[in-house]
Amino acid sequence: MLPVFYPAQAQQLQSVNDATGARSWSTTHAGVYFSLTQIRPEQGDAFYVNRGFSLEQIRPFTASCVYMTVLRNDSAAGVVHFVRDNWSISVEGEARAFKTVEQWVKQLAAAEASKSALIAFRWAQFPPEQEYEPGGDWNQGMLSLGLPAGQVFDITARWDLGGQNFEATLTGVECAN
Amino acid sequence: MQTKPPGRALQILLLCLLWASATQAQDLPPLTHKLTPIKTPSVAPELIFENMDEETVDLKDYRGKVVVVNFWATWCPPCRREMGSMERLYQATRDSKVEILAVNIGEDLDTVFSFLGTVEPSPTFPLLFDTDAVSMKKWKVKGLPTTYIVDTEGRLAYRAIGGREFDHPAIREAITALGR
Repeated sequence: MLPVFYPAQAQQLQSVNDATGARSWSTTHAGVYFSLTQIRPEQGDAFYVNRGFSLEQIRPFTASCVYMTVLRNDSAAGVVHFVRDNWSISVEGEARAFKTVEQWVKQLAAAEASKSALIAFRWAQFPPEQEYEPGGDWNQGMLSLGLPAGQVFDITARWDLGGQNFEATLTGVECAN
Repeated sequence: MQTKPPGRALQILLLCLLWASATQAQDLPPLTHKLTPIKTPSVAPELIFENMDEETVDLKDYRGKVVVVNFWATWCPPCRREMGSMERLYQATRDSKVEILAVNIGEDLDTVFSFLGTVEPSPTFPLLFDTDAVSMKKWKVKGLPTTYIVDTEGRLAYRAIGGREFDHPAIREAITALGR
């Protein structure tokens, strides 16, 4: 298959939710939309305490710089496939690792979270791997970046399509305080 | 007399309500309206769960009908948003051999029952309970919501990953065409 050339990544957009103050960053590249929206620790606490976690169990996660993450195949040339472990973050140009969903589930299970709470946690996360058909397949889920409150960072989402690799980067993203 | 500050539980509840209403009002990704045809239709995996009346429901018993199998949870924002459109689809296609089975993942009857009052229109189609999330692997579901359309022969015909506007004309036509 011959490589297809696409225009450069679209300009990064930012917005603030009037009601919650949560900030969002988004961009589009090669027909794929990518966005992050801050989830403040108290918002995360509220969500997970209602799912059966204690504050002590869930605080390590909710205080780890969590985002509502969206990836959507609006109009790519075919099926988009991603593995979240191929995504990367950097702080002042230095690469940082972040935990997988599986690692979080193990940690929460070790903290004796209930089975139903763990099921909710697992399926509320942004998928570790997925395929999106063009025309609107998408997911919305939580992504923990393991950074302190207020930390500014860059994040690059990566995906492949028909053997060609793509990436979209959001720069200057800030962890909620 | 000093006023007692609100308890932690109340603070959490208020935050939850604020977050839910705020995220519904702003910054929500649009629900889309395209179903992906499955190129090589295979027989749908097993699906046997209890409904809200604690009766066992088996997908196999729906042969001859088009079945929308939706995997969802009350805490999943796009799942909540698409639920009303599924009920409108259900009402519009009841005479067209179309059935909907919405499989809740990991929650109990009380939680789902409380949620139903918040959906407009409230679902009247069968809601099933996969309390251990065992269907996710069988149906290759990697994120919620995910929806499959099963044809009258019990084969997977379409798939949709992420929230959809199920009463959109394009989706309604694709589903009802399977039943003709």
